[in-house]
Amino acid sequence: MGLVSLDAPLISNLDVSINIALIKQYHDNLHKDEAERIVIHYLRRYGMEKIARQRNALLTERERFCVMLLRAAMVADAVIAIDRPFKMVPDLQNARFIYDALKNIDDSFTECHIFDYSWDEDRYRVTDD
Amino acid sequence: MIWAVERIGTSSLVVLKSFQDTLSFAITTFLRMFRRETYNSAMRMVLVHQIYFTAVQILPLFTIISIIFGSLFIGIVFQVIKNLGLVEYLGRILMGFVVAELSPFITVLLIALRSSSAINAEIAVMKVNNELRTLEVFNIDVVNYLFLPRIINGVISVVMLSSLFSVLALTSGLLFSMLIFGMSLDVYTNALLNSANFYDIFISIIKCCTFGFFITLIPIRFGLHASNELTSIPVAVLNGMVKVFIAIILIEVLSLILRFI
Repeated sequence: MGLVSLDAPLISNLDVSINIALIKQYHDNLHKDEAERIVIHYLRRYGMEKIARQRNALLTERERFCVMLLRAAMVADAVIAIDRPFKMVPDLQNARFIYDALKNIDDSFTECHIFDYSWDEDRYRVTDD
Repeated sequence: MIWAVERIGTSSLVVLKSFQDTLSFAITTFLRMFRRETYNSAMRMVLVHQIYFTAVQILPLFTIISIIFGSLFIGIVFQVIKNLGLVEYLGRILMGFVVAELSPFITVLLIALRSSSAINAEIAVMKVNNELRTLEVFNIDVVNYLFLPRIINGVISVVMLSSLFSVLALTSGLLFSMLIFGMSLDVYTNALLNSANFYDIFISIIKCCTFGFFITLIPIRFGLHASNELTSIPVAVLNGMVKVFIAIILIEVLSLILRFI
């Protein structure tokens, strides 16, 4: 399972690219260059390839969320669990950004479950238009 | 009186428990070194980075210190040898003193000052920030991914830098031997080679490996003692570094006992 949560922060002394690539390198023994190539490919989908060499402290909340989502998606046959996303990106009015972020990488995970407080339920009712 | 005895007993038990825990942690990590699956791509990358930070970045400073300390010590040793009329023991003294004792000791002090403290703080910060938990969540073994690369790097770096120190010190010894004794390169080299004792070199390498192992293992162990508060980081670093220096002294004493029994 790939967890996206404030309780599982990014590793602060690794840059974005290595934070995400680490999962593939460790579990699939993928070479660093190959793992980073995959990471850049996914970061491009968010238009965030420029943050590949940045560390956690320099990221915006939205960038951090996408990076954590990508890291979770790197788990083989990933079942992604997102824990209270509005706590990670507090300035969101509704879940549009979260749905878009998931849609951008929907080929990289099998399931996704979002866990949040019941009083935030309305924020998840987003129309397609 | 009973109160004092109880206090001494409690303190002794705490020290013994800490020693036992460190040894148990050392055995666990040591055994992991010989497992093939430990060396995956992520671990190898961390190992290369660690060697760069510990053994390569320090090279300019280390070279200057080696030349200054090496020349100073060799100069003093040569002057004493000359005054006491012990020129025939020159090679033996250089190999026994510089290669077997001085090089590992100066090297381990420099690496402990620079890298052990960094490792201690790094692990403590990771503990405070919940980053160790992140690794667990993603099923990444912290011993394999975080600890072993640092420990193996410690062993490799101390052995390599200690060898470099010996080479630089012995090279400056060549200059002093020319200046003080008027000795040629051939005579100096022969004196060193004839005095090279396999047992001394073996003990020296084992000592460097032991130094490297413990000056990285102890900071890791004490870094893990940090709680969830930022204020626990300096306490963890302080405790770890004190134990590192105790370990250095203990290993030095043990190696001396081993060499001279």
